[in-house]
Amino acid sequence: MEFYLFGELIVLPTDVVAAWVSVILGTPIVLYWLTKKRHWPVIWDYATSTNHRKIGTLYIIFAILFFFRAGIDALFIRLQLVTPENQFWVFQGDKYNEIFTTHGTMMIFFVAMPLLIGLMNVAVPLQIGANDLAFPFLNAIGFYLFLTGGMIFFAAFFFNAAPNAGWTAYAPLSTYEFTGGPNNNYYIFGLQISGLGTIFAAINMIVTILRLRAPGLKLTRMPLFPWASLITSFLILVAFPVLAIALLLLQFDRLYGATFFVGELGHPVYWQHLFWIFGHPEVYILALPAFGIFSDIISAFSRKNVFGYTSMVIALALIGMLGFMVWAHHMFTVGLGPFANTFFAITTMMIAVPTGVKVFNWLFTMRRGVIRIKTPMLFALGFIPTFVMGGVTGVMLASAAADMQYHDTYFVVAHFHYVIIGSTVLGAFAGLYYWYPKMTGKMLDEKLGKWHFWLFLIGFHLTFFPQHLAGLNGMPRRVYDYTWEDGVFVYNFISTIGAFMMGASMLFVIWNVYKTHRPKKENVGADPWDGRTLEWYVPSPAPEHPFEKMPIIDRRDALWWAKQEGKPLPVAEHHRASPVSIRTVQPFVLSVALTIMSFGFIYGWLWMQIIGGAASLGFFVLRAFNDERTAVYRKEEQDNEQ
Amino acid sequence: MSSKTMSRDLFGDKRMGFFIYLFVEAVMFATLFATYIIYTPAEQGPHPSELFEMKTVVLSSIFLLSSSGTLMIAEKGLERRNANLILTGLLITFIFGATFMYFETHEFYKFVSEGHTVATNNFLSSYFVLVGLHASHVLFGLGWMIVLLIQRELLPYTLFEEKHRIFNYYWHFVDIIWVLILIIVYAPYLF
Repeated sequence: MEFYLFGELIVLPTDVVAAWVSVILGTPIVLYWLTKKRHWPVIWDYATSTNHRKIGTLYIIFAILFFFRAGIDALFIRLQLVTPENQFWVFQGDKYNEIFTTHGTMMIFFVAMPLLIGLMNVAVPLQIGANDLAFPFLNAIGFYLFLTGGMIFFAAFFFNAAPNAGWTAYAPLSTYEFTGGPNNNYYIFGLQISGLGTIFAAINMIVTILRLRAPGLKLTRMPLFPWASLITSFLILVAFPVLAIALLLLQFDRLYGATFFVGELGHPVYWQHLFWIFGHPEVYILALPAFGIFSDIISAFSRKNVFGYTSMVIALALIGMLGFMVWAHHMFTVGLGPFANTFFAITTMMIAVPTGVKVFNWLFTMRRGVIRIKTPMLFALGFIPTFVMGGVTGVMLASAAADMQYHDTYFVVAHFHYVIIGSTVLGAFAGLYYWYPKMTGKMLDEKLGKWHFWLFLIGFHLTFFPQHLAGLNGMPRRVYDYTWEDGVFVYNFISTIGAFMMGASMLFVIWNVYKTHRPKKENVGADPWDGRTLEWYVPSPAPEHPFEKMPIIDRRDALWWAKQEGKPLPVAEHHRASPVSIRTVQPFVLSVALTIMSFGFIYGWLWMQIIGGAASLGFFVLRAFNDERTAVYRKEEQDNEQ
Repeated sequence: MSSKTMSRDLFGDKRMGFFIYLFVEAVMFATLFATYIIYTPAEQGPHPSELFEMKTVVLSSIFLLSSSGTLMIAEKGLERRNANLILTGLLITFIFGATFMYFETHEFYKFVSEGHTVATNNFLSSYFVLVGLHASHVLFGLGWMIVLLIQRELLPYTLFEEKHRIFNYYWHFVDIIWVLILIIVYAPYLF
């Protein structure tokens, strides 16, 4: 679409126009609905809270909103690829580059990560008997940083400047010489800001798990989801700073004429190293929490303790450690030489060992258990074969010689969708159904949940299994067109059908949430699933500071054994201090400041950089003189004087 | 819960959290050190030994490194609850930090005015990003000290002490990074 504005010719693709029109039409309707239903107090309550359950819920809500956005991107991709030589809407050429970049980046950073961090927020403190995360205010900051980064990235499309160099942003393609314009600046700042939020979330999680556990809850008695969260957080601590610096260097290349990754002096491969030193641990950052969720769910719905608890923990740690030694398996075709390729091939294959240990332990946990097939358990059951298939193709890809054939084909696309959807997305859904009562006090509908599961799982395999075959037949990834002679039409056609089944399954989620909250029902009790871990000890939804009296833990699954023996858990009167919560709009201030600064950098407007940067620094001053601990510490000093 | 141990528990949380944060920073600096080592010296453009000046490096180091020592005065004051010692320690540290920033700015200014900018070659790019990130840490620390001096009047003592101690960790960390910069960035091309 072309038109003149103030004498300048403006060219807008019609999808951007459609997006603007729907936002302009949709916003008043949503605002009217929120006002009419009197939802504003609830929104305000959540937006200014530092409570872990509320922040976790916010993470999940926005992750699901981004999930729909990136999911629609995926459907557009599938529509463009449904037949050979297809011309669907505007999604050819650079538009196609934009859409697969947005799909990938968004799904990884703004869907998978916040879904898991959200579930950690909701469940981990309750599972270990902590009244909140160690730093409630920092937790709110972390959430707002994620949201700010996500919104900046989200906005790119509306200004017709969506990033277009792939979610890996390989140099030199991502440098200014090859992709000028603001597009990939959005990528840099969206990821930089949300990445900082992720680092804060990890710090918070580690301190909470190491210092705020209930009395007697030794690390060796801790459920596996907190264990997975702990190890994941350590991975984040190493991986995300490397990404931050990689993005910083790319920013210098793009904005200030440095040549780290381009030109005679630069090394494009250095970007690949930095990116994958972050990127491969990132894969385990996505997978490990899902493993933890599945371990808890499989144990709870089999009415048995986790089989091989110690080996489960060791396997988590081993996967985490090996995760740092495999990054160059993404770069087998770069030409690092036979020694490097062999080394990274072997370390990669080694990861199959601890992962195999986990798979067998899950199976043995179910063996002779009293299995109840509820929706969370269904997702766990669907996960095991799906993930194993992804793992097997992973070992295939790990052999460097064979990878020369697989590299950059749909075989790889199929592989990483099998592992990431198989673990992270199924895990997040399982966790969502499992902890939904703890978040809201309501149970999601079982029947609709099963519809969701079956449609999603069948749709998933229909979408991605044929992609293995398309890839083996030579179909390259990130290409918007193919011919009849290529012989991959059938695979792509089936794939598109599957994608729409997955899309349809998500409608059941919306319906389910609507149905669950439509009639005003009583809240379910503390323990709707007959659970084993400590989160089922506190009321649903979990109140703020739920552990007034700390339960004393003397073994694994102490709550379960207390229920079996018909005795209440013993409680401790005096326990360590709880974190101090506060109602605050300060994170929102930081969010606005960073948004202004980022747009200044994205479009190269110096005045905006200065205003936004000064405001961001000013936030620290604001915070320095508005510390919620002031009153608490003053009271303590007065008490001590008496 | 007895409120008497509250500040101790919460300070313990915060200290652990901040140490982890410093570890994150250390990973960031480690990545930049690696970048510097990979790209220096560059095949084209100025060589580091042509640019670095012994005098500036030595002077700025003297001030920054001894500022870690003068901060100990403030730490002593914290232990003894001696307001004068805290004030003296912080002020001297601030002045030393500011003097470091003067030499650092001088060096950057000199390079840029001679036409050696971030875009000149990869040695200078990585030099400016690495040393610039360190300098911005020092600058942030200077601002933090001003805030601390004001907080001294406003906050309950235990909270002020907590914030002061967190700042001390930060400042010593920034100093350690400078030592590494001396060893990795300057030393190979000055001696």
